[in-house]
Amino acid sequence: MLQAHSLLWHYLWVAPNVLLLVLAALIWSRRLQKQFPVFLIFAAGIAIEQLVVYIADILPAVSPITWWRIFWIGLLIEALLKFALIGEIFGLVFGLYSSVAKLGKLLISGAGVVLVLLAAVVAAYTPKDNIHWIVAGAHVLEQTIYIVECGLILFLFGLVAYFKLTWSHSSFGIALGLGISACVHLATWALAANGNFAAQYRTLLDFVHMAAYHVCVLIWFYYILGPQKSTTKSPVILPENNLELWNRELERLLQP
Amino acid sequence: MNLAIVLVFAALIALGILVRLAVSRSLPAKGNSSPATIIRPIDMEAFRNLINPAEDDYLRRRLAPKEFRSVRRARLRAIAAYVQVAARNASVLVRMGESALASGNPQFAESAHRLVNDALLLRRNATFALARIYLALAWPDSGVAAVRLVDCYERLSGSAMLLGRLQNPAAVVRLSPR
Repeated sequence: MLQAHSLLWHYLWVAPNVLLLVLAALIWSRRLQKQFPVFLIFAAGIAIEQLVVYIADILPAVSPITWWRIFWIGLLIEALLKFALIGEIFGLVFGLYSSVAKLGKLLISGAGVVLVLLAAVVAAYTPKDNIHWIVAGAHVLEQTIYIVECGLILFLFGLVAYFKLTWSHSSFGIALGLGISACVHLATWALAANGNFAAQYRTLLDFVHMAAYHVCVLIWFYYILGPQKSTTKSPVILPENNLELWNRELERLLQP
Repeated sequence: MNLAIVLVFAALIALGILVRLAVSRSLPAKGNSSPATIIRPIDMEAFRNLINPAEDDYLRRRLAPKEFRSVRRARLRAIAAYVQVAARNASVLVRMGESALASGNPQFAESAHRLVNDALLLRRNATFALARIYLALAWPDSGVAAVRLVDCYERLSGSAMLLGRLQNPAAVVRLSPR
């Protein structure tokens, strides 16, 4: 069952991408694209890219070298879409407030530069796991993308926690799914790129990778289309004595 | 393989943090204390005195250099304590403002947005101020410009007052003339 080209393997490769296409269609039909335009492009783009790679994998006419070329192109598109999506999440959380928007942009750009440098150093120390550069290079590139992605998502969560901002239900779900996917993929690709594992263990890592992606697609479904968590039960959240509290502060402040 | 182990551990720790965040978000908040009761009062005049450069100059003239550095460090630690409280208050106000925004009442929207913006500005300035204070602790002879922070805190108090007044118009707001 846990073998390449088994029924479960086919399911885990195809189902999440079909679900992602359905999610993109539902976002469009519910007119949510104005809220998450990049996520819509991301969902549709990643799903199509993955399905193209899958079809290329099962078609006997596609040679291994052509498959790896398709995989490389897909990987680069995926990276662009992911970083654009992180930018969108950042805008959704920080864009509303001018006082921190500029600083946040500066910090996240700085973090991006540091992470790219770190990922480049890690890539330089990663041993070649395949005699064909196109295969070994793809593994290292995946690892590099996931290091940067994982770091950026964590940095974003840290920044939001530091400023005590509240995530919207959907933004949190998108960031959580992206973060979980990046962490699991980083772990599996780090093992794949550095571990020199036998083929059977590589396949197991593929299963973990695909299952995690499936879970993330379900997370996106839940957070984007599921019921919105009610944040306030009552419009008045300040206590009755709040003015007294602030008055006391101001009186003290204004005393000569 | 060592590199793989490091990366796997880093990824697992990151995953743990994310899962913990997701679980804590789905659980109901502990306790029912209102954010406003968490706000700690700040003696603004005492804070103003602490950051007054004239007072520092006076102490510098009156005290021996070694004694001055010791007194200055004690004053800097006190300033840091004030700034930390101000930053904590600001984070409470961010929550209050965001709750008011989430209520969807257009009457509060503008003032709540301004409150959150000002509170975030204060938190940002407090971070910079703390960095400067800790730097000054190493070099007590340098000056610390925390005056902007005071202005910011005053504006924040005004925003919170306005939001409070809009949310509870029945309450009497007394503003002393400056």
